[in-house]
Amino acid sequence: MDALVLFSHGSLLCGAGEALDAHAERLRARGDFDRVEVGYLNYSEPPFLDTVARIVEAGAKRIVVVPYFLVAGYFVTSSLPKILNEARAIYPEVEFIVADALRHDAGLADALLDAAHSARPAAQWREPLARAAAACRPSPQCPLYGTSACPKVPSPEAPT
Amino acid sequence: MSNALLVMVHGSPTPVANEDMFRVVEDLRARSDAAEAFPVVEVGFMECNEPTIPEAIERCIAAGATRVVAVPYFLHTGTHVCGDLPTLLEEAQARYPAVEFLMGDYIGLSPRVTEILAARAEAATASA
Repeated sequence: MDALVLFSHGSLLCGAGEALDAHAERLRARGDFDRVEVGYLNYSEPPFLDTVARIVEAGAKRIVVVPYFLVAGYFVTSSLPKILNEARAIYPEVEFIVADALRHDAGLADALLDAAHSARPAAQWREPLARAAAACRPSPQCPLYGTSACPKVPSPEAPT
Repeated sequence: MSNALLVMVHGSPTPVANEDMFRVVEDLRARSDAAEAFPVVEVGFMECNEPTIPEAIERCIAAGATRVVAVPYFLHTGTHVCGDLPTLLEEAQARYPAVEFLMGDYIGLSPRVTEILAARAEAATASA
């Protein structure tokens, strides 16, 4: 079984996985891989090694890891090889293949232009924050926790 | 009405990290459909590099823009996309009341990025 794992940094902000989850869902719909999952280096769930454990248990023999990063910087060139070494040590029978980060692609200019044509006035600039709050875990580490934007624990004095 | 496209980028202490982004912006400037919609295209950095976002906005306006369309060159809903960038644009709007400011989705929301991820996976398996 072939699996694709989107490797991402992770965030303390609830709802930060919105875009990555959407990519995973679209990649599942494409059907190029038997399994498509996300795995995070820090903060967000699930951690990369938990994702690997789950798909190996489900029968993955080959795992393609695609870094969800614009730049092949420290996290791609240093953190990812390190965590992959850990995965290879735990699952020596599984083949891990690492793809390139996004970096440069003709499609990114298309993405920029589409985004420009989606532009909205100021009243809608903070909609991503409202959507992030809708994915409230709620985590005390989230920047929204205990603020008026946090739907579950708007005040640190009154946790529910 | 003259439109400027402002690409809002995080910035990096390692300037070489911006090279790929600049290539993408050059691709965009070279396209006739983009040039028609946005005669001016500027890059502004939030941290580490110059021009800063307010400086890039100044350049757009000096070039004659009456509408500035800002796009976050970011992959995630994070505190920058949710808070810092809208705040910078609100400040710019207060400074230049005659200019219309709009903000688009961050590029990570684009299905085009999904296609690139699929292409990266395909290239990796083909060469493995």
